[in-house]
Amino acid sequence: MRALCWEGVGKLAVRDVPEPRIRAEGDIIVKVRASSVCGSDLHLINGYLPAMREGDVLGHEFMGEVVETGPGVRRLKVGDRVVVGSVVACGGCWYCRTEQYSLCDNSNPQPVFTEKLWGHSPAGILGYSHAAGGYSGSHAEYVRVPFGDVGAFPVPDGVPDDSVVFASDAMPTGWMAADFCGLTGGEVVAVWGGGGVGQMAARAAQLLGAGRVIVIDRLPERLAPAADRLGVETVNYADTDVLEALREMTAGRGPDACIEAVGMESHDVGPAYAYDKAKQTARLQSDRPTSVRQAIMACRKGGTVSIVGVYGGLVDKFPLGAAMNKALVLRMGQMHAQRYIPMLLDRLAAGEIDPGYLATHPLSLEQGVRGYEVFEKKQEGCLRSVLHPA
Amino acid sequence: MTSNGTRWVLLGAGALTAVGVGRTVARRRRRHQPERQDGWYVVRRGITVDRPVDEVIGFWTDRERLDRALAEWATLEQLADNRWRCVARDPAGGGTEWCAEIQVAGPGRLTWRVTDGPAQHGTVELVPAPQDRGTEIRAELRYRSGRLRRAFGLAAGDEPDLGLRDTLRRVKSLIEAGQVIDTRRDPSGRSPAQEAATDRVREKLTTGGRA
Ligand SMILES: NC(=O)c1ccc[n+]([C@@H]2O[C@H](COP(=O)([O-])OP(=O)(O)OC[C@H]3O[C@@H](n4cnc5c(N)ncnc54)[C@H](O)[C@@H]3O)[C@@H](O)[C@H]2O)c1
Ligand SMILES: [Zn+2]
Ligand SMILES: [Zn+2]
Repeated sequence: MRALCWEGVGKLAVRDVPEPRIRAEGDIIVKVRASSVCGSDLHLINGYLPAMREGDVLGHEFMGEVVETGPGVRRLKVGDRVVVGSVVACGGCWYCRTEQYSLCDNSNPQPVFTEKLWGHSPAGILGYSHAAGGYSGSHAEYVRVPFGDVGAFPVPDGVPDDSVVFASDAMPTGWMAADFCGLTGGEVVAVWGGGGVGQMAARAAQLLGAGRVIVIDRLPERLAPAADRLGVETVNYADTDVLEALREMTAGRGPDACIEAVGMESHDVGPAYAYDKAKQTARLQSDRPTSVRQAIMACRKGGTVSIVGVYGGLVDKFPLGAAMNKALVLRMGQMHAQRYIPMLLDRLAAGEIDPGYLATHPLSLEQGVRGYEVFEKKQEGCLRSVLHPA
Repeated sequence: MTSNGTRWVLLGAGALTAVGVGRTVARRRRRHQPERQDGWYVVRRGITVDRPVDEVIGFWTDRERLDRALAEWATLEQLADNRWRCVARDPAGGGTEWCAEIQVAGPGRLTWRVTDGPAQHGTVELVPAPQDRGTEIRAELRYRSGRLRRAFGLAAGDEPDLGLRDTLRRVKSLIEAGQVIDTRRDPSGRSPAQEAATDRVREKLTTGGRA
């Protein structure tokens, strides 16, 4: 079959690879119908999450059709149209039992790397390097999904592939980001990053009761859909002092909750960015935390900073003093896909969330390399490229 | 075949064969030396399984699961009500075998001693974990680095430790998830040579655990 493979830092190619097989009782094989790019892939492609091997198949945000099931699969059957959470979860450990699926104890068969790096190993993630289990990803005609009963969900008829695909990753991630904020109604929520994740976080914050949502980015073609589709306020950090603007917009208080949906390749204007980029390039710090710093500085006293942008290692100049003295609540993590997907599918079917506009670039699998190029360089108003193998 | 109380000796057999598992990585890993007591190397490892003690013991009564967990490495023969003879093979191959006696020494506690093979004895204990967190499986392995061990090709490092951790993780996964995940042979665009190199990396990332 054809698959989009990583070939080295910054290099991708579509190649012939063997088809996946059922390997364990709970496995299912999914014929991929739509597989999206995600900001996390950029961290992998660019070597900032450094555990890729040449030939690894990328892709973790996808939906498709079940074409084969292992003997232990009960809930799903061949022919089901399903969306699959990016995170692999066994369903049987304490973390799964308490719905903290991205912390599953048994889904990363290669835990040594992250145990050394982070003290413990979180869950495996499909198509997400050898630090996350070495699973083959979804930018392929077929993909093996372990624990299919736990990770794959039949999708409602009538919701198009290019909408429901985002229930795999961008939607649950955005929802978790807003969920972390503990909203009770009327809060001001600021969201750093107008990518797929930030857009979905903004929508989730609205649905969870935020009074005002402010999205921060530098790309007009991302701020515009946020304003038009979601009706949020926007701040362009390229021409505005973000901290000043947020203070102004909240009459001095600062946002009640700050969501960071940018991640380790955060961009900035000014000398601090050059400093971070230089240190990251020289591997003196692994991550560029510009937007996290800003979120902490902007957040009101006693507010919540919710981080869903991905970080891999160490950061420099982390404003711990601000966080401590302002008594902030910091929440963060990889999303617990399986916890949110059923609820999100209901909301999709009810039209409460309509993420279809994120699929700005529907492409064939063969066009995958270009799909990543426009996504990474943020060209042609690209929010997400969605690959269609079939 | 027999009572729950004695079937879980297989867990002990699993821990015991860890020595053999260790051998497969001995050449590739150099770690700090393990603790020594009275001439024995002592390794203690624990893992928490999200099931009550009874279920952890009960798990081993299922013949089929059992075979999946251990069949390749060990055979068991019952000697008396609470005593078993275990013949363990080196999972690394080479036909090395050793015998041990495993004894259920009390509720949730078993011990073993190698009777023919590298000097080794150990215990496995099941302790209820606090806060409804299931069961702590605590294993202790004591081994010597004597003539016999050398004859069996086992170096003096802490490779049995890696093997023990690996075994405990497999046991946990089998009980909680019903399977041990394996991503080797997942599709990739690698040549056979690249795949072999990647398998070596996978093995390093699979075996052992926390430093
Ligand atoms: N926690 C999870 O489970 C999870 C899941 C999916 C994605 N992610 C992460 O979420 C992040 C965003 O993902 P995405 O797919 O939306 O990526 P994306 O690349 O499409 O979007 C990132 C956006 O951040 C903007 N940005 C860069 N620097 C900024 C700054 N200093 N301030 C404000 N905005 C800035 C960029 O212009 C871009 O629009 C990534 O780090 C990704 O890895 C996390
Ligand atoms: Zn993602
Ligand atoms: Zn689990």
